[in-house]
Amino acid sequence: MNETMCGTIRELIPDVVGGRISETDLGAVEGHVVECSECAAELRLAGTLFASRPVPPPGLLERLLDSVRTSAPAVRTRAQPSRVWWSVAAAAVAAFALGIGISSDPGLELPVEVPGYAYEVEEGDIWVSDDGLLAGAPLFDDLSDDALLQLLEELSVASAGGSA
Amino acid sequence: MRDEERRDGDPSDLELVQAGRDGDESALGLLVRRHHAAAFRVAVSLVKEDDVAQDVVQDAFMKAFRALDGFRGDAAFRTWLLTITANEARGALRRRGRRKESALDDAIEVQSGDPSPATAAIQSVEAERARRKLEELPDKQRMSVSLRIEEGLSFKEIGEIIGSSEGAARVNYFHGIRRLRELME
Repeated sequence: MNETMCGTIRELIPDVVGGRISETDLGAVEGHVVECSECAAELRLAGTLFASRPVPPPGLLERLLDSVRTSAPAVRTRAQPSRVWWSVAAAAVAAFALGIGISSDPGLELPVEVPGYAYEVEEGDIWVSDDGLLAGAPLFDDLSDDALLQLLEELSVASAGGSA
Repeated sequence: MRDEERRDGDPSDLELVQAGRDGDESALGLLVRRHHAAAFRVAVSLVKEDDVAQDVVQDAFMKAFRALDGFRGDAAFRTWLLTITANEARGALRRRGRRKESALDDAIEVQSGDPSPATAAIQSVEAERARRKLEELPDKQRMSVSLRIEEGLSFKEIGEIIGSSEGAARVNYFHGIRRLRELME
């Protein structure tokens, strides 16, 4: 048997068993293996390996999809600001609101109503009340990290100065 | 469970990657459906145990998804993912520090068009024997044979995954398949 022809056919065998071959090439392989026992044996072996490919255990796909659902926020680096910065923003707004409330009349024991957004922030919930607009959340959307840091510093100074 | 084939009109892997970067969870799910079986085969080929292979596949997908911004599209997503999977598997092997016999009985599924029970039994025995002999090949030969026959990857892609040149991957494949035929005789 022509060695060059065998070499060409053996290159094609994986594509034959995987069904990734043109009709023309398939015809060439089929014609060759009728006469070449070596290539026919290799074709049988490749077919056996392809047919007995290990398959994932039941449940793996669902497990992976679950992990995508629970981990997807970590992937969305460009879609959302990080949770840390949302927390900083929420803390800054809360400090600002409380600072104003206290500094407006520091000598009086006024009942201070803690706004909804200052309650404990649960995992996955940025704003636990519906008054995100009042809290100013939309205003932070386009701020850079540096701008948020500067804002926080300004709020801290204002709050310290106001209550002194 | 097999990898889902891409049909005409379905988004390409690259389109799904771009959607995934923008936080599209369903796009990431589609990538998982398309490639989890191949990733599992690469993992189990190296770590030999189903449960360890599943952990490896999960870690590989999560690592790939977290690094989507770094995926430039020079290689196919599948090749990139399988390279990460192989690296994760090698890491798992290093951590474990030893290897065990493969649980092949659980992993083998013979696909044949409704053969007779006798034929199916012969095919099953032959398939199991072939897979056990495949395990005897050196890592790079075994990976080259598996990736070429089972996943249909090119030698260039195989080289990227096993950490060698395209030519070396080709040599590993042909040495491996020839050695396997000798072992089967």
